Amino acid sequence: MKELLDQISCCIEFGKINNQSPYPPDMKGKDGADELTLKALNEGLNAGDILNMALIKGMEQVGDKFRKNKIFVPQVLMSAKAMGAAMAHLKPFFSSGDVKRKGTCIIGTVQGDLHDIGKNLVAMMVEGNGYEVINLGTDVGADRFLEESEKYPEAVVALSALLTTTMVNMETIVKTLKDKNPGVKVCIGGAPVTQDFCDRISADLYSPDPQGLVEYLNQLHTTNAAN
Amino acid sequence: MRSKELFIKTIQHEETDRVVVDYGSTSVTGIHVLVVEKLRRHYGLEQKSVKVIEPYQMLGEIDDELIEILGVDVVGIGPPNNMFGHPQENWKPFKTFWGQDVLVPQQFNTSSDKEGNLLIHPGGDLSVPPSAKMPVRGYFFDAIERQHPVDESRLNPDDNLEEFGVWTENDYNYWAAQSSAAAKKGRGVVANFGGTAIGDIALVPGLNLNDPKGIRAVADWYMSALMRPDYLHQVFERQTDIALRNLEKAHQATGSNVDVVFICGTDFGTQDSTFCSLETYNELYAPYYKKMNDWIHQHTGWKTFKHSCGAVEPFMQAFIDSGFDIINPLQINAKGMDPIALKEKYGNHLVFWGGGADTQKVLPFGDPGQVRDHVKRQCEVFNKNGGFVFNTVHNIQANVPIENVAAMVEAVREL
Repeated sequence: MKELLDQISCCIEFGKINNQSPYPPDMKGKDGADELTLKALNEGLNAGDILNMALIKGMEQVGDKFRKNKIFVPQVLMSAKAMGAAMAHLKPFFSSGDVKRKGTCIIGTVQGDLHDIGKNLVAMMVEGNGYEVINLGTDVGADRFLEESEKYPEAVVALSALLTTTMVNMETIVKTLKDKNPGVKVCIGGAPVTQDFCDRISADLYSPDPQGLVEYLNQLHTTNAAN
Repeated sequence: MRSKELFIKTIQHEETDRVVVDYGSTSVTGIHVLVVEKLRRHYGLEQKSVKVIEPYQMLGEIDDELIEILGVDVVGIGPPNNMFGHPQENWKPFKTFWGQDVLVPQQFNTSSDKEGNLLIHPGGDLSVPPSAKMPVRGYFFDAIERQHPVDESRLNPDDNLEEFGVWTENDYNYWAAQSSAAAKKGRGVVANFGGTAIGDIALVPGLNLNDPKGIRAVADWYMSALMRPDYLHQVFERQTDIALRNLEKAHQATGSNVDVVFICGTDFGTQDSTFCSLETYNELYAPYYKKMNDWIHQHTGWKTFKHSCGAVEPFMQAFIDSGFDIINPLQINAKGMDPIALKEKYGNHLVFWGGGADTQKVLPFGDPGQVRDHVKRQCEVFNKNGGFVFNTVHNIQANVPIENVAAMVEAVREL
């Protein structure tokens, strides 16, 4: 069992999607995250164990290596694809409630901004670390974030912006969300965003990389679990 | 002719008695059309609708009046069609989301989606799907991905080469006329002939194509470096062959009227890292850059210009080894992009074009005093021993206060 979980974890870490995928070259012709996850379920492994002991483990490695500049955007995108292939098999267990996720994260690129590669990388890493992600896409205004936040009052909201012209919209969104629900946690990120800006607009977290958000969510999860 | 003389000295790494300046010669050293209008007002020029000379980023024309007032030392010449395939001619009025009256080319034809966002169509043809979108609250366009499902067995490099072609006689005549007119301005001339950018993600979606084929989605393109390196090599190799044929024609058409050629705007840097490993750069990109740069150096007197945003210090030596003469924009607030260290380590080998003012923090959010101090400090570092063309870090965006732009212009002038 452990060997199979390690294999899945390895596929996530190195971006091996399925048997047909030529990447990485040293895994060519071998089964990927897609086939191995299905195999694990067919062999009776628990979906929660697959999530916790394979997917999350693999994705932690991806986040750590990305933060240390040991891997780059293309490798992370490949890992995202591999994780998506595995996750497709686990989704029914989330829907049925057999497997509980650690929490929910609502994410989107703010109004006026259409950039989504960075935001999607973050979304993927958060999902791969065991959270449900509600990805609202790009050019998302305060009303839309609020609407979703009211549906999931316990969810953490993550805002992305790539432009100096659009990062200012984060302030309105943070204020709108916190006016309605003072307890909501709002995290921000993106190329021009800084800790000073985060402090000024009273957001709860600025992280320069996806792993920072994952660590923050994990801290909240641990604290909530202890309470 | 003093501008031209100083510019030539600068790109040859000779010291000059003042800083050489670029505002608007390329699509990565320009000014948003809104700020151009404010500049005209600030300097008491006639208030008129400004031409949008680069519609993707909504850059405004720096015309002869502004060139004089801003003390610009280098002008640019660009291709006959813009990124959406519209001929840059027959200018018509257009009102922007932010209420500005501007001029756009005749074929700048748009529609709207249900949210009211502005959609622009390749070649101005409203019967084909739009290739880019400007959000209601946005200030420029971004690509709409039109990626067909990828069938690996049918992938053909020609599909990613549709936008590249050998120059016609009309192209030749166009560039001859453009370069001749530009040379008469008595300033340096930078040419963006097009077709030389290897894998520029801004161009990959094929904004000027009615129905782009091949790999056109951003994420798919990035992953292709890992999944389909042979395919990318074939695309780059054929593209380079076409580019070399066009460079030969370009040299015949423009010759000594051109001083610098804009080769490539592919971004290799993020805010705190690179987009790929140095090994990938050297294996996948460098051979094609080197072919083009070597040809240019062997056959012309042109210098070659490379743009890359982000934290690219780890790639700087590789850019030099690839044969580039000029690096832009020197994103000084990205990780590892310390101006003093960069100048010391690479300043003898690369002309630094940009890095004169930070556009992420100081220019949009500082005050005029901070801008002035910052600009002077940057220039002192980068202009030491020559080899520096003043420009901001990438284009000046729509939200920059005009007082800060004016403070920057004055600070450079005082040096």
